Amino acid sequence: MALTISGLSKTYPNGVKALRNVSLSIGSNMFGLLGPNGAGKSTLMRTLATLQDPDSGSVDLDGLDVLAKKMEVRKVLGYLPQEFGVYPRVSALDMLLHLAVLKGITKTKERKEVVNALLHQTNLWDVRKKSLATYSGGMKQRFGIAQALLGNPKLIIVDEPTAGLDPAERNRFLNLLSSIADNVTVILSTHIVDDVRELCPRMAIMANGAVLVESSPAEALGAIHGRMWSKVISGDEELKALESSQQVVSTHLIGGQQEVRVYAESSPGEGFRASESELEDVYFLSLARHANN
Amino acid sequence: MRQFLEFFLFELKFRFKSISTYVYFALWLIFSFLCVASENFGGVATGNGKVLVNGPWANISNDISASFFGIIIIGAIFGTSILRDFQRDTTQIIFTKPISKFAYLGGRWLGSFVATVVVFFGLIPGEMLGTLAPWADHTRIAHAPLIWYFWPFFSIIVVQIFFLGSLFFLVAALSRRVFVVYLQGAAVFALYLFYAGAFLSTRSLNRFWPGIFDPVGILLSDGLSRYWTVVDKNTLLFSWSPHVARGLFLYNRLVWCGFGVLTLAALWILFPMSLEALTARASSRRAKLAAEQDEDITPVRSLVVARTPLVHHLFGPATTWAQYWSLTRMRMRNIVRDIPFWVLLILMAGLACSNGRFAGKLEGENVWPVTYLMLQAVEGIAILFFYIIAAFYAAELVWRERDTRFEGIHDALPIGEATDWLSKFTALCFVELVVLAVAGLCGVFMQAIQGYYHFELLQYFKELYVVTFPQILVYALLAMFVQTVVSNKFLGHGIVIGVFVLQPILYNFGWENTLYLFGQIPPYTYSDMNGYGHFVLPLFWSITYWLSIAAFLGVLSIGLARRGAEDSLVVRLRGLRHNLRSIAPALAVCLLVAIGSGVWFYYNAHVLNEYLTAKDRRDIQANYERDFKKYEHVPEPKIISVDASIDIYPERRSFSGKGHFVLQNKTPHPISAIHVTNGRQSVSHVVFDRPFHVVSSSPRALYSIYALDKPLAPGETMNMNFDVGYTSRGFKDGNERAELAYNGTFFDSDYFPSLGYSAGEEITDPRRRREEHLGPQELLPPRGDALGSVTNLFTTDSDWIHYTTTVSTSADQIALAPGYLQKDWIANGRHYFTYDMGQVQTLDFYAYVSGNYQVTRDTYQGVTGPIAIEVYHLPEHSFDVSDMIAASKAGLAFYEKAYSPYQFRQYRIIEFPRYRTFAQSFPNTVPFSEAIGFIERMEKPTDIDFTYFVTAHELAHQWWGHQLIGGRVAGSNMMAETLAEYSALMTMQHRYGAANMHKFLRYELDRYLRGRGAEVRREEPLAQVQQEDYVWYQKGGQVMYTLADYIGEDKVDLALHNFLMQYRYANASDAQSGPYPDTRELVAALRAQTPADLQYYIDDNFENIVLYDNKAVSATVTPTADRKYKVTLVVEAHKVKSDGSGNESPMHLHDLVDIGVLTGPRDAEKPLYLKKEWISDGQQTFTITVDQMPTRAGIDPFNKLIDRNEDDNEIDVVKK
Repeated sequence: MALTISGLSKTYPNGVKALRNVSLSIGSNMFGLLGPNGAGKSTLMRTLATLQDPDSGSVDLDGLDVLAKKMEVRKVLGYLPQEFGVYPRVSALDMLLHLAVLKGITKTKERKEVVNALLHQTNLWDVRKKSLATYSGGMKQRFGIAQALLGNPKLIIVDEPTAGLDPAERNRFLNLLSSIADNVTVILSTHIVDDVRELCPRMAIMANGAVLVESSPAEALGAIHGRMWSKVISGDEELKALESSQQVVSTHLIGGQQEVRVYAESSPGEGFRASESELEDVYFLSLARHANN
Repeated sequence: MRQFLEFFLFELKFRFKSISTYVYFALWLIFSFLCVASENFGGVATGNGKVLVNGPWANISNDISASFFGIIIIGAIFGTSILRDFQRDTTQIIFTKPISKFAYLGGRWLGSFVATVVVFFGLIPGEMLGTLAPWADHTRIAHAPLIWYFWPFFSIIVVQIFFLGSLFFLVAALSRRVFVVYLQGAAVFALYLFYAGAFLSTRSLNRFWPGIFDPVGILLSDGLSRYWTVVDKNTLLFSWSPHVARGLFLYNRLVWCGFGVLTLAALWILFPMSLEALTARASSRRAKLAAEQDEDITPVRSLVVARTPLVHHLFGPATTWAQYWSLTRMRMRNIVRDIPFWVLLILMAGLACSNGRFAGKLEGENVWPVTYLMLQAVEGIAILFFYIIAAFYAAELVWRERDTRFEGIHDALPIGEATDWLSKFTALCFVELVVLAVAGLCGVFMQAIQGYYHFELLQYFKELYVVTFPQILVYALLAMFVQTVVSNKFLGHGIVIGVFVLQPILYNFGWENTLYLFGQIPPYTYSDMNGYGHFVLPLFWSITYWLSIAAFLGVLSIGLARRGAEDSLVVRLRGLRHNLRSIAPALAVCLLVAIGSGVWFYYNAHVLNEYLTAKDRRDIQANYERDFKKYEHVPEPKIISVDASIDIYPERRSFSGKGHFVLQNKTPHPISAIHVTNGRQSVSHVVFDRPFHVVSSSPRALYSIYALDKPLAPGETMNMNFDVGYTSRGFKDGNERAELAYNGTFFDSDYFPSLGYSAGEEITDPRRRREEHLGPQELLPPRGDALGSVTNLFTTDSDWIHYTTTVSTSADQIALAPGYLQKDWIANGRHYFTYDMGQVQTLDFYAYVSGNYQVTRDTYQGVTGPIAIEVYHLPEHSFDVSDMIAASKAGLAFYEKAYSPYQFRQYRIIEFPRYRTFAQSFPNTVPFSEAIGFIERMEKPTDIDFTYFVTAHELAHQWWGHQLIGGRVAGSNMMAETLAEYSALMTMQHRYGAANMHKFLRYELDRYLRGRGAEVRREEPLAQVQQEDYVWYQKGGQVMYTLADYIGEDKVDLALHNFLMQYRYANASDAQSGPYPDTRELVAALRAQTPADLQYYIDDNFENIVLYDNKAVSATVTPTADRKYKVTLVVEAHKVKSDGSGNESPMHLHDLVDIGVLTGPRDAEKPLYLKKEWISDGQQTFTITVDQMPTRAGIDPFNKLIDRNEDDNEIDVVKK
């Protein structure tokens, strides 16, 4: 499975340029899409999920024209939108069985097996007969994951899947996702850098409708290896001074004290110590570079 | 206070920012504008043509209509105002602030109240603007004082907004549920419909208590203004006085204002002002679920990820089918598990059952709930639900994914748009099928409850599923289409409702064509005799036409379906072009069927038949009057003999034949021009037995003038021959001729030519005459008019005729016409009958009837020989046959003894389909509609035996109308109808006793008083009556009945006998026209038998319009020492004289009136004491001793006199 996106552009009627000439090639594994709110991630995801058309560009899934052959794509698609609701007065079990039929799993026995397995995996087994409308946010999100994974999809698009999950469920979901990612294209959009770091062999960073970085996390980290420096600073005055003289990537609070991370070829000065580069640094750096351009 | 103002102003600001507020305002503005400006809109303008359209009563009526339809708007404004915080989850923000209950609730409430009042205020400028419309009927627009606009607004609308708004506010505040708020307006609306319908449909005479508890005002207004004359309606507002109509208006408003205050008090007490209490339900539900999960979660789950089992995806027709079915099931489940569905269903079933309880019952008459009546009752109310459900669920289904925000998942599923759409459509069909079945079951159930076990399930099926269901589907498909196109669900609802409401409005405005009135079908009537009969074809083709158009829209909605994130119409229209390839075949099929059925319908309704709107038909009438009225008094010969051979083809709804008239010149001058009116366009090839030529013939050959080369000399006779017939071709767009039916053909002599101008063709409604610029209709000439006196009232072109006929029909039917059967035979597969009247001369009034009849025969020994009594009826309609025969025998016995011998040897009653609802007396032959006899049921002794009455009435016409005929002058009509009515009343009294007449008389009085209230010209005194049927039937019958009570039945009968023997068969023998009697002779005959001190009764009731206001003031009882009861009764009486418009002037009262003391419950009293006393103006006290404890007492307790407030004549007797 390979997904090739070339030259996608999209401008909304209100003038917002959601995608600017986006090109990506995604193989048979997990692909992480990082970006701040409004970067165009969801527009890209919806386009890949056949829910909207770009103004220009093309998407190819193993020789299948995604934009023209929508119905063919939907047959192999598992999609979890960023936001979704549920029908009232329907249980998770009934709804999943129903969706399984719609996804073409017509053999009753298979349908039951797969639904039961997913209910167990998403930890919804005990509440499977409860009305979806009574689910809490996290439960609903798990239901969304279950339906997206129904029936061995070849292309899985999950938009902010870990939002609203507690740490245990998040881990469980990430494990689940990685276990099925063999020979399947999974595109995961998120603004949680750790999700990508933990899961994705390949990734891209988007901002303002454009792809800033496309690489593997390791490559990206390698590019800034040995160039990250950190320092605990005394206050805003110092931060201000640093900002004007150095490329400050981020600040963190550690035990109530502010630590600043700076990107520099060599040590930026006294008090700085070399720091292990992190994916988050790549992310912030890309955004900052993009903003400066 | 600051907070209060804040909430109040916020609410107002919110309302006035919302587009709906302006829409509502505009709606009322347009509504009341049309009520005034259009003659074709609203109950007042389309009703009585003399009532001012901006008068006080008109404004009250319009405001009551607005109150009725406005229930939903009041619900929408008040309900949502309190719900908003809960819907938008702003509760957490609001209720964590320090706000007072008064500020929050009060501000919201007052804001809603003011907004609603402002919205409804649109009515007033609407009414005012309506008076300025140049096309309005300015003869009905007065220079109205402002109070006529503002009084109804404040006393009716504002009061209603107060209490209903408070109720809706309370319910919304306590339930805090969207669907409750969504439905409560509709629920109150439906409940009110049920409440008002239950009282109105039975025409109950008890109007006080229903009026008191009427929140909207339909029954209230009926109770207050039921008998208002035109003058009253144009001058009076409802009175606040506790003495007018027992204070009905005052107490009603007090009751409902009190109700409003109570609701507000309940709101104050019950509304919890804390977030915890307000959201308790939702949070407890979630907490419960979490608790359950906590318990179950304890076992530690393995962190090993189990692999998801491998499955197979199959896509093909079988999967498409499985998807369709799964989606359909899911959608049906969504609807059926939803509470509003059950609310609607139960509400509908309740209304249907309660309506079914009264199926066919009217004015105290009890009938068997046959299936068509039950369907009418059940479907009549349920149909509203069918449409509401179609529109409501079409929207819910179309918007479901978007409303629940499930569209992200749904739209990316591998399902085709058509599959998805069809599943929605199927679910909607399923819901409708269920609802229709429930309506049908309610009907069957109510039939069983009432002991009627002849369940015609096939008829239920046909009516509900074959006729109604497709019509509902048309709207369902429209609603799905509209909801697909529009961007907002409520806008969609508005458009669908607008389309629905627009159709009858367009129809009223003269746009009557089924082919462009969306979803319209031509009107149809089911008849037990005929089934759906000739309506099947127009129904089939119109339904096919609209269904295919709707299906076209349906397929288009598939192409326009919302899918994905970009669902603006522009984007979807672009998509439509892309989808067109796949939906084009279906679109083409729909289009072809629509065009095909439309063309076929058009060919039948417009090419094979002439298409005429109501206005076109009025134009024809008006042109006839304009062009030929001038010939009205041209001397014409009289028809003295009729001989016709008629062939009826029931299966083709046609007949043809040849007629032969013998004409005689009864004038002293030669006649050279013969004028022939052909009002039914059924006459052709008119020839005379002497040379003649056609002088002129109007379009449609309605009026032709023939010149005789040699004039017809005085006294001379001449033969006239003509073809007569009518051929039904295809079908029409409504207005099918009811005379022709597969089973139950019934047409009469008006299909034959008449000589000279026929005033019967004229338009009578003054409003329509004004529209045609015709001027007032010419009245019957005064008594003594030279020409009128020698002209037969019923047939101006004939006095008496000899009649013989041969009629044929299909082999399986019986054909009838007046006369004695000479022979019948079968030839060429057809059944022939020859009837001859012999030497008995009759009115020139005959009919031809043909049907599949069962005949029940009996014989009565008359004074001159045996009289055959025959009833021709449907085999299933044998309920009343013996009652009809009994009434015929009783009538014959009474009339022969009291008046004169019966002139015929037979009396036949013949059933005909209920397309027309009357019985009509031809010589010895009475066609009788299946709607007014044949299915009556007598359960209780108080049930009115209407069949018995009608049978006796029509029989009496054999004397009053067929022996005695009046001249064509004012008053003469009453000599037929009033005397027939009196004869029937007495026949009924002989059968059921005087005490059982009270109920019937009260209905008669009610009809008279309502009739005069609805008078469009002017009411005439009985002896001068023109066209006022409520005078010659109801008033006349009561006046004569009471006269018999006052001077003795024998005296009245003697007077009638003397009168009849002197004037019967006037003009029957002379070769020259002589005078017919008129009411002067009748009144003189009655006066001759009336004592001097009661002559005032004749003056009042025959020569004037006089109304009593008799009233029981108090009645007390004290037991006496000798175990008797002494009743002290105080009564008050007044009498007024009214002019033709209803202007009243007081009269001096010194009249004989019943004073009675009664036992038994209200409406079933028996007299303990009943004596006529001389009563004068003002209060009078009577002391009466009776043997038994009385219950009621009063003045004229049995309503023998004409009394505008007939229900205050009696009063409960109280112990002292």
